[in-house]
Amino acid sequence: MKEVILNTPIQKEQVSDLDVGDVVYITGIVYTARDMAHLNIKKLLQDKKSLPEDFDGGVIFHAGPVVKKVGDGWGIWAIGPTTSARMEPYADMVGQLGVRAIVGKGGMGEDTLESLHKYGGVYLLAAPGCGVVHSEAVKKVLRVHWLEELGVPEAIWVMEVDKWGPLVVGMDSKGRSTFKDIAEKATTLKNQWFK
Amino acid sequence: MSILADDGTFDKQFLKEQLSSLLKERVCTTISPDVKYLLKKAHDAETTDSAKGMIKTLLTNVEMAEKQKKPVCQSPGYPTVYIRYGKCANIAELVDVLKQVISNITKEGFLRPSMVHPLTRKNTGDNSGIGVPNIELEHDSALGFVEVLISFKGCGAELGNAVKIFTPAQIGENAKGIKEFVIDTVIKAGGKPCPPLALGIGIGGQMDVAAKLSRRAVSTRKWTDRNPDPELAVMEEELLDKINQLGIGPGGIGGKSTALAVKIGMSHTHPAICPVAVNFHCWVARRGGIRIYPDGKIEYLFGEEDK
Repeated sequence: MKEVILNTPIQKEQVSDLDVGDVVYITGIVYTARDMAHLNIKKLLQDKKSLPEDFDGGVIFHAGPVVKKVGDGWGIWAIGPTTSARMEPYADMVGQLGVRAIVGKGGMGEDTLESLHKYGGVYLLAAPGCGVVHSEAVKKVLRVHWLEELGVPEAIWVMEVDKWGPLVVGMDSKGRSTFKDIAEKATTLKNQWFK
Repeated sequence: MSILADDGTFDKQFLKEQLSSLLKERVCTTISPDVKYLLKKAHDAETTDSAKGMIKTLLTNVEMAEKQKKPVCQSPGYPTVYIRYGKCANIAELVDVLKQVISNITKEGFLRPSMVHPLTRKNTGDNSGIGVPNIELEHDSALGFVEVLISFKGCGAELGNAVKIFTPAQIGENAKGIKEFVIDTVIKAGGKPCPPLALGIGIGGQMDVAAKLSRRAVSTRKWTDRNPDPELAVMEEELLDKINQLGIGPGGIGGKSTALAVKIGMSHTHPAICPVAVNFHCWVARRGGIRIYPDGKIEYLFGEEDK
């Protein structure tokens, strides 16, 4: 098991070394994105319009924070992972954007596993339900996109983080997934119980 | 005017203050004491560094939230309020106060604005909305108090929920068919419902009744209690034991602590059917309640950190 610090922008080579179970800390810029942000990005790409950010080498955090107005800017009061499986339909798009790390909870499916392998990326598991722990790593909100249109949880919050973690590699770029392994073992057990 | 007058009117200001401090101090910024107790036990039972470490982080987060008076989890989930009342309670007034309190503490940063239109997905901005909060009323003319139990239940967890209308043949011997359905549902949900989770199961009635029973069982019962129905108590224990053999573990990272509790609610049903609803609750059990007596005496539900 390795323990590494990833600074953004992250190079493809840095994530191809990672294996499931490794522990990662992130320093740099993180973009929150949930269902509606993914949908907006998809529409912009379809219409060949420009995106609000360059996600190449970036980190996407499946999260919607609790925020407070601080002076002219924003403070992150609480932030933690949301259920990543909802973003599964955008697996290939996220890979194409050059996103190197997806952070969330609960894991993702086959399409994401394929995308991580094809484009070079990892899925990182953040401790679920830990709004305060994760907010400690956020140093600054740099900007926010689509706040009026989508509301607080669904907007893209661009944040600067410092040694954010521990985040555990749940899916790597070599086609391995902790979640898939656990589900297979659990299913075998269930089939023994109920044969 | 007394706090709760014979004609059903409340001292609105008193009620607003009580509910507001209940939510800020005992609900949004912590988890119920029974669940804290179970999490600590789960931490001690785990044998791997990763599972132990994960639960340690969950417990640390609760401590920090309490100390810093911040939301323990960024997602407030969906609010449900269980109200029990006797002969004298002006429910419309009580609901009105509840809505105001939820909107106010949202603006203060204790809840993220999270209620959206189901189709347009437009956020209302203050956790108001049609049907929000979900109100469940129970009338008992013998009650000498009004009880308000509020649960903020995470909704990512609800993505794994499932309902099945069983035929009598599908129930199987010793409810084998129902147990398999429950275990299957837990495996499919994996790490999504923020394990260590609790499972509410509603059995009987019609579809909506089973769903309501499942929510009530997991939201209002202490996760450390024992079902007063001995048959259901045994079923709860068997399912909990099986779920914790699945290896999903805290956060879905692998381990022994997949579930902290299984709670079953039951209603009689029709000979043609047996509806079963499975309802996931994340570990972040933000719930609390008060009993308000006519003289202004207040009792808190869920009590201290023990069994």
